[in-house]
Amino acid sequence: MAETDIELARRCLGGDSSAFAAILEAYQDRVYSFALRLLKDPAAAEDAAQEAFVKAFRGLASYNPAYPFSSWLFRIAHNACIDALRAGNKTVSMDREDFPDLQDPAQGVEDSVAESLDSGRIEALLGSLSPLYSEVLLLAYREDMGPAEIARVIGAPEGTVKARLFRARELIKAKLAAGNATV
Amino acid sequence: MDMDASKTDKLIAGAIAALPYRRPSAAFAARVMAGIAEAGAPQFWNVRLLKAAELTVTVWTAALVLVTGRLVYSNLPEIAGLLLRPGGLSGAVNLAGARAALALAKLASAVSFVGDVLAAAGAGLPAWYEVTAASLICCAAIAALSHTRRLAAGHI
Repeated sequence: MAETDIELARRCLGGDSSAFAAILEAYQDRVYSFALRLLKDPAAAEDAAQEAFVKAFRGLASYNPAYPFSSWLFRIAHNACIDALRAGNKTVSMDREDFPDLQDPAQGVEDSVAESLDSGRIEALLGSLSPLYSEVLLLAYREDMGPAEIARVIGAPEGTVKARLFRARELIKAKLAAGNATV
Repeated sequence: MDMDASKTDKLIAGAIAALPYRRPSAAFAARVMAGIAEAGAPQFWNVRLLKAAELTVTVWTAALVLVTGRLVYSNLPEIAGLLLRPGGLSGAVNLAGARAALALAKLASAVSFVGDVLAAAGAGLPAWYEVTAASLICCAAIAALSHTRRLAAGHI
């Protein structure tokens, strides 16, 4: 049976650094993909992911096994991505909500448009959103986290997470309806 | 024809869930492991130090609660008798006020006494810049510990 994240973390704390290689192998694609979709730059995403793993290793003693290891690791990755966005002078505010204008919610999405949501198109739509919104969508649907877990990852109240998820979906729908996603 | 909102939401969720994970470059794992080797062992001494400080504060609070509770319990008959007496509540408030005023007066005299002692020992105290330097070092140590704690907890 494969070792759990907690067992691997305990081995690391016991001085066995090689156990971290197993954690790295298990999470590198997930953390890198998350960073890449937020930063939209492979080199910056690798740097952020590397920083996240090193910080996770150094702070392993502070990990609370009562919570999933993945959400703890993603919180560190989230912070590394914010640092990278700020260092890159991106005009993305993660500190306050911004409320882009939404189209009339009554405006629906055509069957054929919504059903043609392949990975390339959804990737482009996610890329067109602010990291504030693409992040919650990725954590909710790609990482299968609930609002409470996402709240722990991004350090925001659960209500804020739910509001962001709602607005993010509405933005995607508005872009689908307008057909302005740059694929 | 328009789709209903929940069906579109499900399609969006499904499309995001089906996104493939990207793989970092082949050198990524080696770079991370090199960074880890450079970082050294996981830092848990400072976490333990802060936990010890938290424990000390908790024990101190518990001791205060215990002593206060014991004091109230041992004087409960007198307190109850005072409260039950007609006009007892205002009497108790007056008594508490008088006790507080007495304690304040004692505190003021204690502060004055400490001031006198310090003034007398003033010649033996370190120079002001030494005291300032020591304060700055203490502040820096506390800030560093706090930063490391935030770093370890992921609140970076």
